[in-house]
Amino acid sequence: MTSRRDFLKVTGAAGTGLMLGLYLEAKPRPGEATKATFRPNAFLTIRPDGTAQITVPKVEMGQGVRTALPLALAEELDLDWSKIEVVNAQPGPDFKGMQTGGSTSVSGTWDSLRKAGAAAREMLKAAAAAQWNVAADQCRTEKGFVLGPGGKKLGYGGLSEAAAKLPVPKDPPLKKPADYRLLGKRTPRFDGPAIVTGKAVFGLDVRRPGQRVAAVLRCPVPGGKIKTWDDAKAKAVRGVKAVVEVPTGIAVIAESTWAAFKGREALAATATWDEGPARDFNSSTLEAKMRAALTGPADDARREGDAGKALKAAAKVLEAEYSFPYQAHATVEPMNATALVTADGAEMWAGSQSANRAQERAAAALGLKPEQMKVNVPLIGGGFGRRLGTDFSTEAAQVAKAAGGGPVQVVWDREDDLRHDLFHPATLHRLRAGLDGSGALTAWAHRIAGPAVLRSWTGGQKAPSQAATESNGAYDIPYAIPAIAVDFAEVEAPTPLGWWRGIEIVPNVFARECFLDEVAHALGKDPLRLRLELLGERGTVKFGRETADIRRLKKVLEVAAAKAGWGRKLPAGRGLGLACHAYDGRTYAAEVAEVSVVKGRLRIHKVTCAVDCGLVVNPAGLEAQVEGGIAFGLSALFSQITWEKGRTVQTGYHDFPVLRLADMPAIETHVVPSAEAPSGMGEPPVPIAIPAVLNAVFAATGKRIRKVPLEDNLI
Amino acid sequence: MPTYQLTVNGRVRTVDADADTPLLWILRDTLGLTGTKFGCGQGACGSCTVHLDGQAVKSCQTSLKEAAGHSVITVEGLSKDGSHPVQKAWIAEDVAQCGYCQPGMIMTAAALLKRKAHPTDGDIDEAFADHVCRCGTYPRIRKAVKRAAGGVK
Repeated sequence: MTSRRDFLKVTGAAGTGLMLGLYLEAKPRPGEATKATFRPNAFLTIRPDGTAQITVPKVEMGQGVRTALPLALAEELDLDWSKIEVVNAQPGPDFKGMQTGGSTSVSGTWDSLRKAGAAAREMLKAAAAAQWNVAADQCRTEKGFVLGPGGKKLGYGGLSEAAAKLPVPKDPPLKKPADYRLLGKRTPRFDGPAIVTGKAVFGLDVRRPGQRVAAVLRCPVPGGKIKTWDDAKAKAVRGVKAVVEVPTGIAVIAESTWAAFKGREALAATATWDEGPARDFNSSTLEAKMRAALTGPADDARREGDAGKALKAAAKVLEAEYSFPYQAHATVEPMNATALVTADGAEMWAGSQSANRAQERAAAALGLKPEQMKVNVPLIGGGFGRRLGTDFSTEAAQVAKAAGGGPVQVVWDREDDLRHDLFHPATLHRLRAGLDGSGALTAWAHRIAGPAVLRSWTGGQKAPSQAATESNGAYDIPYAIPAIAVDFAEVEAPTPLGWWRGIEIVPNVFARECFLDEVAHALGKDPLRLRLELLGERGTVKFGRETADIRRLKKVLEVAAAKAGWGRKLPAGRGLGLACHAYDGRTYAAEVAEVSVVKGRLRIHKVTCAVDCGLVVNPAGLEAQVEGGIAFGLSALFSQITWEKGRTVQTGYHDFPVLRLADMPAIETHVVPSAEAPSGMGEPPVPIAIPAVLNAVFAATGKRIRKVPLEDNLI
Repeated sequence: MPTYQLTVNGRVRTVDADADTPLLWILRDTLGLTGTKFGCGQGACGSCTVHLDGQAVKSCQTSLKEAAGHSVITVEGLSKDGSHPVQKAWIAEDVAQCGYCQPGMIMTAAALLKRKAHPTDGDIDEAFADHVCRCGTYPRIRKAVKRAAGGVK
């Protein structure tokens, strides 16, 4: 089994190959294509009226793929952006790589979407050229038209029938970036008008004829099972239709959501549970185990030089422990899915980030083949990795089957969402730095102890890449230090785990960038200067499985610092802090935070961010991702999930606080221009937000904070 | 079983449901108006915000009995065609990311601007204190409110 990132790469590649295969095959689908409809590949249909339908092979959860991905195709085809309809793909033979995560949506589809557009453009040009009896290279395209010599002009719609009969070019020429009309320009979110009028359809908004609603009573301790229950009171609730047992608990099926919730409440009062192996789990025992693991055996993630020896030889050793808690996703749209089981198959409406897996697993749970399970993906009201899980979609299929016919929407409430999340686990970090007599950093040791997220992805198996995955952000420390040792000591926990926006990079970069700040202050060096020195005059550097271009990282750091006015005089109680990271060696980002601490209360005034993510597809989308990524990162400064007797203590936004409007700093985004292929922007701004802020808190107050979440009173 | 009458987006509706049913579920499940969102049911996220006699209220914390006899406006009824100044400002500032919390945000903004044509930053902080946007669209919400300022009658 591979790491999450490898998995994404592999599935992305498989999807791309297939899409390319399709685009070479170029057969219109029966029932979908009329004679006059041009459908050269799975992404694109041009209708005789000139409108174009683009099918997006990734899922929209706010990151802007329903805008950015069509832009790549529309650019090469010179489509009229105002005549585009965007539809979501369905998992199946055409779309096998719908998994949406790891900031890979643009990079994973960039080539196939551009080629799909370019191939269609060449075919439309050839169709027009044949009609005009001129050479195709005498024609060009613009905003939905082919233009020919002598002012000749034909719309794509009128050419669609003729173009559909032509062979699909295998290697169509792609535009030069200098000729781009759409890419690199600010394009507002495609779904904006539907969202502001309430017309946008999210998973919870799916309404099918005869639809019922179910709420599932699940054991509050993950992994526990129902022992006894009495459904009489639940069935007496007005609107409750049935109470059925499913693998995850007891489902109350009703005419309305409120009736389902009320019925479930009545049922809950009667339930007894076998709470299972997690019944005694609590956060304090986990913390003790993690602390013990900070000095025990571990799996190496990176070992360069002899860090142990270098630490012994050091004139001074700095040592610190950093702590990061369990976190929840807390998407504003709670988990939900709607399913319908019929005699010969099933259909599902699920806001899944992993539609192919959702299809396979729900089908398997019902004893069906994947192709018998049609999956529709509505808009997603926040994903952040939570909806890579298939628990909620499989459960909905099981409830629909147990309900015995008709569509059923399974709705989770906020407490369900927090109690049964696929959590990002807690970690403890032990960092040691060796300094020699001349003030040079000679050794760096970073031990991470905690549960392994990757096991949630490998059916519980320990993957060979476990140590690297769990130390992502730590093993790829970009600084030139003679001896580096990064390792991971797994501590088992009986809690469901899953990917989270920024993954392990968030806690690991928090510890790394804050501890480096400690080193700078111990050396009496400016933190920016120390980083620039340690980045040095290097080019592309390989760390284990990753490579990164240090020049690009250095550049974003310099730009963020300059734009934020690094080094300027600030009033007492106010400070600047910075952090930088090369995300998976693909996207380079640096942030400078400006904070003040007044009467122990932290106020984050501004975060200045510089990024290099290769070519920018849509600057408007990029800025939104930076703002959102920073908000997500900062939110984690204040939140945590804790466990008592196998249950989460937190049950809602009242005790799992998320960032609110009044707490949001001003964000300034600077793009470092690049001609490299686009990488990704969803996660890179997240992990550096916390260390930038905490380093600024130190600058403002002299207090070093090594534990998230923050305490109410900072000083 | 008693029935309740309320005016929703200008239309009188008669509803047969329990008195304690939250207005949220009457709108979403009984009347099919899914623009009003369910986020927490605990009054802590603001996704379900609607106008009750012109005031922004959380429809998950407002019972059918409380809403009966009153006028409810949802995001679907804010304008016929998305032309309400707040909706236009939301598009101009490209506010939404996933968009799920935005109908609630828009309803709060519209009520705020009706009450106070030119709100201060402090007014905006206060008006949105009970709202959650997990995508982090807050800087654009603030800008959009300011853009729409003075335009809500």
